[in-house]
Amino acid sequence: MVNMIETKNLTKIYSDFTAVSNLNLNIKKGRIYGFLGPNGAGKSTTMKMFLGLTKPTSGSFQIDGMSYPNDRMRVLRKIGSFIESPAFYGNLSGEENLDIIRKILGLPKSSVSDSLKTVGLYEHRKRLAKKYSLGMKQRLGLAGALLGHPPILILDEPTNGLDPAGIHEIRTLIRSLPHKYDCTVLVSSHLLSEIELMADDIGILNHGRLLFEGTLSELKQYAKDSGLPIDNLEDTFLAMIEEDNLKRGSKR
Amino acid sequence: MSLLLEIKKLKRTGFFPAFLIGAILVACFPIINTAVRPENFINQNLPALDILMNANWQMIAMLNMFFLVIGSCIIYHTEFADHAMQKMEALPQSIGKLFINKTLILIGSIIFALIIEAASFIFCAYYWFNTDNSFLPDILKYFGYEFILLIPAALLIMIIASLCQNMWISLGIGVIGVFIATMLPTDNLILSFFPFAMPFQTLNNAIDNSWISPFLISSGIQTILFSIIEVCILKVRRNIA
Ligand SMILES: Nc1ncnc2c1ncn2[C@@H]1O[C@H](COP(=O)(O)OP(=O)(O)O)[C@@H](O)[C@H]1O
Ligand SMILES: [Mg+2]
Repeated sequence: MVNMIETKNLTKIYSDFTAVSNLNLNIKKGRIYGFLGPNGAGKSTTMKMFLGLTKPTSGSFQIDGMSYPNDRMRVLRKIGSFIESPAFYGNLSGEENLDIIRKILGLPKSSVSDSLKTVGLYEHRKRLAKKYSLGMKQRLGLAGALLGHPPILILDEPTNGLDPAGIHEIRTLIRSLPHKYDCTVLVSSHLLSEIELMADDIGILNHGRLLFEGTLSELKQYAKDSGLPIDNLEDTFLAMIEEDNLKRGSKR
Repeated sequence: MSLLLEIKKLKRTGFFPAFLIGAILVACFPIINTAVRPENFINQNLPALDILMNANWQMIAMLNMFFLVIGSCIIYHTEFADHAMQKMEALPQSIGKLFINKTLILIGSIIFALIIEAASFIFCAYYWFNTDNSFLPDILKYFGYEFILLIPAALLIMIIASLCQNMWISLGIGVIGVFIATMLPTDNLILSFFPFAMPFQTLNNAIDNSWISPFLISSGIQTILFSIIEVCILKVRRNIA
């Protein structure tokens, strides 16, 4: 299967702190890749590198065979993204916010209402974004990423700040994206329970290092082989992180 | 097209009303100033424009500088307040062009303010001084000169605003810069090259001291210098982010 995003020893060091360390990811075309890790693991940093928002310290990556900085415009044209905290113009309405993005991408006018309907924000489109609740801001960010149905979606903790019904709704939406729009999705979370319900492939990150990459059933097999608890996957994840933290601790 | 987009982003920020009302208030200053003591002005043995410039320009220049500072803060505050800039940087567009368009908006707005101020001078000249129409080409020259001397300050202020995610920091730097400029003597050529101080110079003062070309050259050099600095900032920022 073809890799849509591929990294080679991707590393990011902030002054003296290593946020991402020798990462080798293989994100396959047409699948949902769940990027799992506790807070501060380096998920957002990795995604920011994919968007050219921050430069790798060493290592490299390719997106659909292209790389930065030469192909910046072409790569960004293919990616719909949503990183960390919601980003929007508070003085503009939800609809006006999306219209700015639409114009930059050169999409038809109808794409805005399409996107608003998809994330369930259509009836609140005239309200100023700063008056939105956190969950609505999150949906607005998601709408911005989905605008024009890009072939690659990079979604950083997209269900943050949503209520349980909203989480379920957005999860179902993300789940449906690859066959609806023929796209590849990279979605991050700090909850395995969430990734488990959305992703085809899983990458587990801790302190900037990749602990595991593979499918859900491979993860279960891996857990069994390494004597980790398997009846509850969340425990498996926590045990993996703890074991890794212990190893890191003893190395010091 | 992309300029229009930057204008749309300023909706409901108060940017355009602030410039409109501000420019009108500033334009009232020479009219009131002349109305309260017309004989002081009319009896001077100087061209009307020189009298108006001498009496009003220090105040107007200071207010114009505050327009630039506050305007730049509003323009970049919409980008930084709710992290919109991060989304903009992840879209297929040039951040350099975004800066240029924003700077064009600020410069366009200050041209608008200068036009209203010039209109107020024209009113004073016809109402209190019996000037003939030779006044009109002169006022164009005088205000054109002011515009050229304003460009480096506008660029520098935009660079500062684009670097400070916290609006209060860029506002503070700008206000301090303007106050320093008001304290510098306008008859010292070297000190007047300070970008924030140049807009306080007047064409009649430059003619008296044969300073026209030094200031035009200084404005040109500073404009090129600040443009190069901005290009470097855009390059470096991506690398150290
Ligand atoms: N600009 C920065 N400067 C210094 N350290 C940073 C910067 N951005 C992130 N970090 C650090 O890098 C680590 C990884 O952060 P992040 O990628 O946001 O983690 P995650 O998204 O997985 O929670 C954190 O410890 C964070 O403090
Ligand atoms: Mg994060």
